[in-house]
Amino acid sequence: MAGAISITQRVLKALPFRFRSFRARILVFVLGLLVVLQAAGFLIVNSANTRNALRQISEALEVTASVFNRSISERNQRLLEKARLLSADYAFKQAFATHEHETVWSALDNHQHRIGANVMMLISLDQRVIADTLHPEINGAVFGFPGLIEQAMNSDHGEASAIEIIDGNPYQVVIVPLYSPGHSAWIVIGFSIGDSFAKSLQVTTKSEVSLLHRKKQKAWLLIASTLPMAERGGLSKTQIRRPDGTPRSVRLDMGGREYVSLVTPLSRGDEKSILAVLQRDLGEALRPHMRIRVVLIALFFGGLVFSIIGGFMIARTVTRPVLALAEGARSIEEGDYTYKVSVKQQDEIGMLADTFNEMAKGLGERDRVRNLLGKVVSPAIAEKLLSADIELGGEEREVTVLFSDVRKFTDLCENRSPTEILSLLNRYLTQITSVVENNGGVVDKYVGDAIMALYGAPLSNHDDAARAVTTALQMQTALEALNKEFQADGLPRLAIGVGINTAVVVAGNMGSMSRLNYTVIGDGVNLASRLEMLTKRYDVPVIVSGATKQAAVDIVYRDLDRVRVKGRVEPVDIFQPLAPAGVLDEVALQEVADYHQGLAEFRRQNWDAASVSFSLLLERSPVCQLYQLYSARIEQFKKNPPPPGWGGVVNYDEK
Amino acid sequence: MGGKANYWSFLMAALITCLAVLPVQAATLHVSVQDAKDQPLKDAVVYAVPKGGSQARRGRGTRVTVDQKNKEFIPYVMAVNVGTAVDFPNYEQIRHQVYSFSPAKTFEIPLYRGKPAKPVVFNKPGIVTLGCNIHDWMSAYLFISETPYFAVTGADGEVAIKGVPAGTYIVRVWHPTQANPPEDSGRKIVLKGKSSLSFSVKQKPVWRPWRAPSASPRGY
Repeated sequence: MAGAISITQRVLKALPFRFRSFRARILVFVLGLLVVLQAAGFLIVNSANTRNALRQISEALEVTASVFNRSISERNQRLLEKARLLSADYAFKQAFATHEHETVWSALDNHQHRIGANVMMLISLDQRVIADTLHPEINGAVFGFPGLIEQAMNSDHGEASAIEIIDGNPYQVVIVPLYSPGHSAWIVIGFSIGDSFAKSLQVTTKSEVSLLHRKKQKAWLLIASTLPMAERGGLSKTQIRRPDGTPRSVRLDMGGREYVSLVTPLSRGDEKSILAVLQRDLGEALRPHMRIRVVLIALFFGGLVFSIIGGFMIARTVTRPVLALAEGARSIEEGDYTYKVSVKQQDEIGMLADTFNEMAKGLGERDRVRNLLGKVVSPAIAEKLLSADIELGGEEREVTVLFSDVRKFTDLCENRSPTEILSLLNRYLTQITSVVENNGGVVDKYVGDAIMALYGAPLSNHDDAARAVTTALQMQTALEALNKEFQADGLPRLAIGVGINTAVVVAGNMGSMSRLNYTVIGDGVNLASRLEMLTKRYDVPVIVSGATKQAAVDIVYRDLDRVRVKGRVEPVDIFQPLAPAGVLDEVALQEVADYHQGLAEFRRQNWDAASVSFSLLLERSPVCQLYQLYSARIEQFKKNPPPPGWGGVVNYDEK
Repeated sequence: MGGKANYWSFLMAALITCLAVLPVQAATLHVSVQDAKDQPLKDAVVYAVPKGGSQARRGRGTRVTVDQKNKEFIPYVMAVNVGTAVDFPNYEQIRHQVYSFSPAKTFEIPLYRGKPAKPVVFNKPGIVTLGCNIHDWMSAYLFISETPYFAVTGADGEVAIKGVPAGTYIVRVWHPTQANPPEDSGRKIVLKGKSSLSFSVKQKPVWRPWRAPSASPRGY
């Protein structure tokens, strides 16, 4: 059955149009199957019935043929008996003895009527007509049927019978000797076998009877028939071959009606012969079968209608709930978990609907949890937490950590209500968070006004460092816009510092099994925080470590310093990202180049040269705290040169 | 049969008388008749016609009998001279109606028993076919001969015609089943002393009406 269905599906797919609806497929399959089965059944029954009917007719015709032949021979026998009786009639002999033509003819005519014959002849032994009831005038003419006499001569008792055409009409004739008292003449008696004869045979044989005659291989001529006139023509036109051996029935189409026909020869002899064609109307014989056929057709259409209705209804019990389920699925896709599929069936589909509703409920709950989680933690972390079993512990991975902090937030809080501050802070955090998330960063936590964001955990990208640096630059722009809004709202402007470091840290769930955070820990994280704090000292908005600079290319940096922060032995190069490559103009780039020139002199302890450089830079940007810082350091080192192995490193011991 | 022999001796006596009168030497003619299969043919009439016509020796005054026994005529074939009177006595329990439509003699003896008072006289030469009106199968032939020289073959198919004056004759044979008329098969012969002839008769099929099975245990 599965194979049949798959074949059906394949067929359906091959069709020029496709049945997209399940209901149509079920209907087409059920109806197709029904039509094929019914049609096959109908064809088989129909052909068997027709064959059977044909065989019955054929058998009946064969029986009829033997009945027919028997009745012909019995008739012959009766004719012979009549003829014998007549030939022994003394009065007739007396009349014959007169040899007066009129007397003989008259006696012949009288006897013909006595036995109800249609023609009677008296033939002399030398085969001349003595008298012929059909032709009173004939006397002495040569008898036209020498074969008949020959046949009689060769028989045991001088008798013969045949079917002969006399004056164009068929007669069954018998010939007997006239004993007067010796054999002195032949008596020929003929009985017409025209349509009325055929009719009488039709009564006994219950078949249409036709007699055909032909002379010397000429065309067959119809001489008697029970067929309607309109249908007789077909018989003569039909080429009927004289059957050899047992006669076999054939189907003949005659004037639109089909007859099962059996041809049987009536008289022996080669020169001329008579065929009897027995026929039965096929339509007549098939009538009972036709009734069966009508019933079959009615059953077929009845079955078809029932199948359409049944198929439709069964399909509906499947498709209606399926459509309801599809509707439910769409609602869930749109986020409406409250949709409830109502299917009141107890079957598999009912079970599916129940399961679906349970699923929707479960999905709704999970979505609520996820939403909440996504708000409490970052969506990416929420996803990470939901995607796998939660366990404590982490993995080492390279992460770029970004710290941002509002400068002098404590000062801002003074003289403001906590609500106002919270509102301000939320506006700020919302803005900044969106910048972080837009760049693929994950907000790890908010600590008051500070934000810790991760790039590379829980998901890593190949350009995590660049994303972090870009975030820092865009934060400046976003803050600029936000500050304008704050100014308009009478709120204070905010300034932020951002520290970024790229390092291998441990990322994972930390805390206890009952309460945990996804976060990162490690030295690299602390450094990022320290770098953020250094922004105040250098009066720059963003400071990144050398590791971050190395990872985030295509950005123009300003080398700020080489520092040793508290808790770290190794000095760290720190840089200020200025802008993406290709954004700064010539002048700005020149100033950066000049600055780096001065910084190089400074690190080579060429104090004079460095002093000149920075003086020039200060002339260009007098308020730049960085230039002032280096100018001050140069003046100091001029007086107190740094110890040997200085390396240009500045130590920051305070936190 | 005894009566018949009497007639025959009477006839022979008459012949002898004639021969004695005429100065002609008498001859004897032996004829054997066979059918087409060379089997002896019974009941064939052999007759010799003298050249230049028959010196008609009429049978006037002669009288013969055709018996009716067991619903059959006896004999089946009899030859007589023209002018012979024939009795048809019926001594059976049933009546018979003897008749003939033959051109040589048409007569009818209505249903009778015993011996009719008058015999039937046959004055014309030819074949007379005898029948019984109420028994279809009963038939017999009378050969009415012009010439006095004739005889009917027995079971051996042989005849001997004695006392025939020497001379030239045409010998002919007639049989009820003969296909062709006797005129077609005449044989010219010069008779002197003893002469012999042999005839082969071509027969035609001749049917007799069926004898009713009840009429005789023999039946045919």
